[in-house]
Amino acid sequence: MDFIITEDQATLTTGVRDYLADVHTPELLRALDTSDSRRSADVWQGLVEMGLPGLLVPEEQGGLGLSLLDAVLIAAELGRAGVAEPIADTALVAAPLLAKADGQDALLTAIAAGEAKVALQHPANPWVADLDGASHLLSVNDGALLLADHSGTAKLLDSVDPLRRLYAPVAPSGTGVGPADALLDHAALIAAAQLVGLADAMLEQATDYAKNRSQFGQPIGSFQAVKHHLATAVVKIEFAKPVIQRAAVALAEGAASASVHVSHAKLAAADAAWAMGETAIQTHGAMGYTYEVDLHFWMKRAWALAGAWGDRAFHLGRIDAAVISGALPIGPGHSFA
Amino acid sequence: MDLAYTPEQQDFRAEVRAWMEANVPKEPLVTLEREHGYHQHVEWERRLASGNWGMVTWPEAYGGRGLDLIQWLIFEEEYYRTGAPLRVNQNGIFLLGPTVMEFGTDEQKARFLTPMAKGEVIWAQAWSEPNAGSDMAAITSKAIRDGDHYVISGQKTWSSRASFADWGFGLFRTDPDSKRHKGLSFILFDLNAPGVTRRPIRQLHGDPGFAELFFDEVRVPVENRIAGEGEGWNVAMATAGFERGLMLRSPARFQAAAARLVALFREHETKVAPAAREQVMQAWMDAQAYAYNTYAVASKIMAGGHIGAEASLNKIFWSELDRAAHRTAMQLLGASAELRHLDGGALNMWLEGYIFSLSGPIYAGSNEIQRNIIAERLLGLPR
Repeated sequence: MDFIITEDQATLTTGVRDYLADVHTPELLRALDTSDSRRSADVWQGLVEMGLPGLLVPEEQGGLGLSLLDAVLIAAELGRAGVAEPIADTALVAAPLLAKADGQDALLTAIAAGEAKVALQHPANPWVADLDGASHLLSVNDGALLLADHSGTAKLLDSVDPLRRLYAPVAPSGTGVGPADALLDHAALIAAAQLVGLADAMLEQATDYAKNRSQFGQPIGSFQAVKHHLATAVVKIEFAKPVIQRAAVALAEGAASASVHVSHAKLAAADAAWAMGETAIQTHGAMGYTYEVDLHFWMKRAWALAGAWGDRAFHLGRIDAAVISGALPIGPGHSFA
Repeated sequence: MDLAYTPEQQDFRAEVRAWMEANVPKEPLVTLEREHGYHQHVEWERRLASGNWGMVTWPEAYGGRGLDLIQWLIFEEEYYRTGAPLRVNQNGIFLLGPTVMEFGTDEQKARFLTPMAKGEVIWAQAWSEPNAGSDMAAITSKAIRDGDHYVISGQKTWSSRASFADWGFGLFRTDPDSKRHKGLSFILFDLNAPGVTRRPIRQLHGDPGFAELFFDEVRVPVENRIAGEGEGWNVAMATAGFERGLMLRSPARFQAAAARLVALFREHETKVAPAAREQVMQAWMDAQAYAYNTYAVASKIMAGGHIGAEASLNKIFWSELDRAAHRTAMQLLGASAELRHLDGGALNMWLEGYIFSLSGPIYAGSNEIQRNIIAERLLGLPR
C-alpha cells in the first residue's frame, strides 16, 4: 500500500507543465481565438516533439507505455494550460483503449508519431470534439466500441468555449475494438483530470489578481473575505485530486468498482472547477466579467468539461446504483477493495 | 503507487479485527462527558492497553507497537468497523504523547508516557483562556518561578476532558513582562493539586464536556515544564500541528458514519426530501475522498515528506463533511430527530453526533483561522 506519486512521475509532470507554460500562453489562446480553424499545426507539432501523443502507446509501437496514473497527471497539465488541441482525446483516451485491442499496432504507431488523431463519440457525450481533422473515429453501437477511419467535414456547432470545436454525432461504424463503457470511463477520467488542472490555473490567476489589485490602500488578497473564498476553493480542488488518482488506478487494474470511482472523480473535479470559476470571477470583480481578462478561457472550458462525458445526473446515477443500493461494500476498510 | 495491501498488512488487519470483535463492549458506553460514562471509557482504555492496542503508533519503548501510518489506518478502520468507543485518552495519544517524545527529557518520558499508555492517567488540554481563543498568543495566565517551583495563577477555559481527567497541559506566561508569543512555557499540572478549581461547563448536549480551570497560586515543580523556559509557543505549535494534522480524525470514523447514513437513508427512502438522496451520496463521496487523501499524506510522510500548512485543508474538510453528514441524518429523521432516545429506547446517536459535529469547525483552530493559514501560507496572500 503506497498512495504516492513517484519522483519520475513528478518530473514528467513538471516538464510538461514548464513546456506548456512557455509555449501555450494566454497570448496563444487569444491568437487561436481569432483564427479560422482555432487549431495550430505548430502547437500540435510542439506537442508531438514533447512526446505527448505516445505517452500511453506501448513501447513496441514507439510510445512510452505509461499508465493511466501518468495520464491523469498529464491531463491536469493540459487543463492547466488550457490546451485545446485534441491531444487528450487521442493520446490519453484513445491510445490506452486501442492498446488493449488486437491488431491496432499500425494506428498506435501513427498516434505515437503524431500522425493520427482519434475523435471520440459516445451517447453519454452528445457532441463530438474535433471530428473535423480527425483521422479516426471511435464510436459506440449496441454496447460495442467501434473504430473507423474518418475524413470529410461537418457543420461546426457554436460552443461558449471559443476554442472547443464540436460537431453533431455521426452514424456509428467500424470494427469492434472493445466494450463501449470503457470509452466512457476513460474519457470521463481524463475530463476529470483536466478539470482539476483548469481549477488550479484559475486559482493561480485569482490569487495573482488578489495580490496585485489594491483597494482601500491594500491588496484585496489581504482581506479575509477574499482569503476565505479562495481557501474554500483550494480545499475542494485538493480533495478532488486523490479521488482522480484512485480512479485511475482502479480503471488501470480493471477493478469491478472502477466505474464508481470514475464517477466520483468526475463529480468531485467538476464541482471543484465550477466553484473555482465562480470564486475566480468574483475575486477579479468587474475585470473578471470582461473578455479581456484571460480567466474566461479556463472558466468556459470547465463548464464544457463538467457537462461532457457524463453530466452530474449521469455520474450521480452510477454512484446511486452502487452505493445506495448496497451493491458496493462501503465503510471502513473498503477504500481499496 | 500501489493500492493493494501487502500480505503482512492483511494479517495485521485480521489480528486487529479478531481482538476488537472479542473485546469491544457489546452495549454502547454512556457518553464520556458524564462521570459514569467517563469511567467506562477509562476502563475501555485500560482494556485496550491490556492488549497493547492503546498507543499503536508510539514506539515500543514507550509502550506502543511502533506501527507505521498505513498500519495505523488499518487499525483505525477495524476499530471503527466494530463500533469501538471514542477515545477518552485522545489528548494523551495524539497531543501530549508526541510532544513529550519530541521535546521531553528522558526523565519526563519515563514519568509521563508509561502511565499515559496504560490509561492510568487521563489528560486534559488547557490552551484557551477567556480572552485567548483563536488569538492564543494573548494568554495571560502566569507561572512565576519560585525556587524549584512555578506558582500558577490565572484561568483556562474550554478545557476538554478537564471535568474528570487527572492531569492537564497548557501554556503559561513564565515571563510576566513578555508579550504575545514570547515568554510562554509548556507546563504539565496535576488537576487535583491544591489551588486548582475546576468548574465544569455544560455543553450543547447538556453534559459537562469541558471545564473552566481556575489557578490560585498552584505550585508546580519546574521539572513539569516541557522544553526550555520561554519556548512554549513553538512546542504548542508542534502539538497543534499534531492536532490539526493527520491523526486527529481518522477517515475510518467518517466512513463508518457514511455507511450508517446510507443504511438510515434506505430505512427512510419512501419519505425523504428529493435532495436527501444526493446529500447521502455526497457524504459517502466525501468520506472516501478524505480516506484517499489521508492514505496519500501517510504515504508521503512515510517516504520522508512532512505535512505543513496542508493540515489546515484536512481540518476544514473533515469537520465540514462530518457536520454535513450528520445534518443530513437529522433531516432524514425528520420529526424524530429531536428525540434523545429513538424507538426501542436506544440513544439517538445521530442527534449526539450532530451536536458533536458542530464543535469540529470550532476547536483545534477554528475553520476561519485554518482558511487564513491556507490563504497566507499556501497561496501566499498578504497578512
